[in-house]
Amino acid sequence: MSTVLTKSQIKKNEALMERSGSFSNPFEKKSRSSKFGRIPIYLLTFIMIAPYYWMITSSFKSVKELQVVPPSIWPKKWILGNYYDRNFDPLNYQQDVMQGLFQRYPDLKFGFFRFIFNSFFVNISITILTLFIGSLAAYVVSKHRFKGKKAVYLIIIGSMMIPWQVGLIPGFLLMDQFGWLNTFWAYIVPALPKAFIVFFLTQYLTSIPDELVEAARIDGASEFTIYFRIILPLLKPALIAMMIFTAIGEWNNFLWPLIITTSQDMATLPVALANLRNSGAGNIGTQGIIMAASLITSIPTIALYFATQKHFIRGIALSGLK
Amino acid sequence: MKSEISSVGPQAIGKKGFRRFSETGISTYLMLSPFVLLFIVFSVYPVLASLRLSFMRYNAICNPDQAPCGSVGFGNYATLIFHDDRFHKALSNTVLYVIGAVILGMIASLSLALALQEDTRANRILRVIFFLPSVTSGIAVVLVWGWVFRGDGVGLLNAFLNIFGVAPIEWLATTWMAIPILIFMSIWGGAGFGMILFLAGLNSIPAMYYEAAVIDGAGPRQRFRYITLPLLRPVMVYVGITGIIGAFQIFEGVYLLFPTSVGSIGGLRDMALMIVPYLYDSGFNKFRLGYASAIAWILFAIIFLVSMINLRITRSLEDLK
Repeated sequence: MSTVLTKSQIKKNEALMERSGSFSNPFEKKSRSSKFGRIPIYLLTFIMIAPYYWMITSSFKSVKELQVVPPSIWPKKWILGNYYDRNFDPLNYQQDVMQGLFQRYPDLKFGFFRFIFNSFFVNISITILTLFIGSLAAYVVSKHRFKGKKAVYLIIIGSMMIPWQVGLIPGFLLMDQFGWLNTFWAYIVPALPKAFIVFFLTQYLTSIPDELVEAARIDGASEFTIYFRIILPLLKPALIAMMIFTAIGEWNNFLWPLIITTSQDMATLPVALANLRNSGAGNIGTQGIIMAASLITSIPTIALYFATQKHFIRGIALSGLK
Repeated sequence: MKSEISSVGPQAIGKKGFRRFSETGISTYLMLSPFVLLFIVFSVYPVLASLRLSFMRYNAICNPDQAPCGSVGFGNYATLIFHDDRFHKALSNTVLYVIGAVILGMIASLSLALALQEDTRANRILRVIFFLPSVTSGIAVVLVWGWVFRGDGVGLLNAFLNIFGVAPIEWLATTWMAIPILIFMSIWGGAGFGMILFLAGLNSIPAMYYEAAVIDGAGPRQRFRYITLPLLRPVMVYVGITGIIGAFQIFEGVYLLFPTSVGSIGGLRDMALMIVPYLYDSGFNKFRLGYASAIAWILFAIIFLVSMINLRITRSLEDLK
């Protein structure tokens, strides 16, 4: 590569350097004050991380250490007792020994694993089915011509303005009538029609030329072939974004699971967590177990976020600004 | 009849059944029906049924089909608006909370976006950290905050203040502190999400606007006032409206941190009672289902009004220019 630059290239480089120096961020000053200006950000970062730090470290502290005033910042001894305490004996009470998280719920076949399973099962079912029926509807709304299409789309969009709690009471009564309380049906079926997904995917599809679909139609492709062969591959980035949103949103759902489950075995993780806390309310010794359960509840969504970070941020920007 | 056929298009002429309504035939309806049927049963029906219920007396011993129960006209609404002190408390608490959480949250998000705008490695890591609460289970987070604000010496905030010789404070049992604590938790949990939206907005502002402003001699403050702020307005409206709608629906923090001893919600003297927790309390603790439905519709009316006003204000601001 030649190292000699033409005049115009030098000019271009200078312009670029200048832009990156003083234009990219109107607040940035290349001086000492900007370095000190970062201190508040680092203090805030500390506040952001502190709860996670506390959740993790406390879940590995012994019951005895949890009771110490003031609380220890770093566990003196890392123990697994809050998850599974080998010293625990249901017939022999000992002070400062408690059932670990996975020793609790003796009535349930797999103990705490049951809640983990419930959460995963509900979440995966909802995410797959809601995206499937949502994308079918979005394809029809954006690429088919039929009577009443505008009205259908308007009602779907309009429903997004209604807070979902408005239908909470009749929704509960409906589940009762169907005999769905304390079943997976009550978790999954009412969560399937998501107006936002249809809206988002329809928006996305309108930017794809109709000719693609029409050409396939002329070639004799059936509507379902078009959906599977053309629409789904095109929708992939939008579907991934929606998949992440749905999965995280459903995982952290609380109010609906709270009202449709009364029997312990049907609780999802957030509900089990709230029940755990309510059962041992003020007792500081149970906090380690509660933190262990909180940690287990938090990990899957955070892991999903890290695994799909790029899609995630792009998805938010897309859905927010379109 | 004639106009009906011609509006459908040439393919439809002479064909029967579904073809009359759609040129793609039955497949249109096959593909649309799973969503639409579920949508009608689980989204549309509950909303309409809740409107009907809100005019009914419907509780544990009284179901609308029985003789003395049934319709009470605007009775539930009248009681809520004129006589129910707990509802008034819930409403004023929620309004205070929404104002605090949305305004402070917006300032926090925008400041974060501006501070972390430059695409450096450190900033990318910080953005992830600030965004983390948005993907963390709300219940798990609330439980940690519950420990932070514990009233005894094991509470983290109390332990920290103890270094300076401050005696333990009952944070969650001090009436005026409930709303500020909930606002703080809301900002902690939501600022990162707003930040991402503002970052996307900032990145979409062409650099040449700033260049032109510099050539014209505009300082950083002027550039912010006359370029950044006006161009971020659409993002601000979006963050504002979604923030308001979300804040009105607060439930988890109140449910877990402010229980009362008698199987109710709201904390000491209802200091943290909000609309959705009160809806839950009326419907599922006290089994007043008609009454709870009326609360739900008032919530909807408020959110609808606020969003409309917000849109109106923005539009009129745009017309001014």
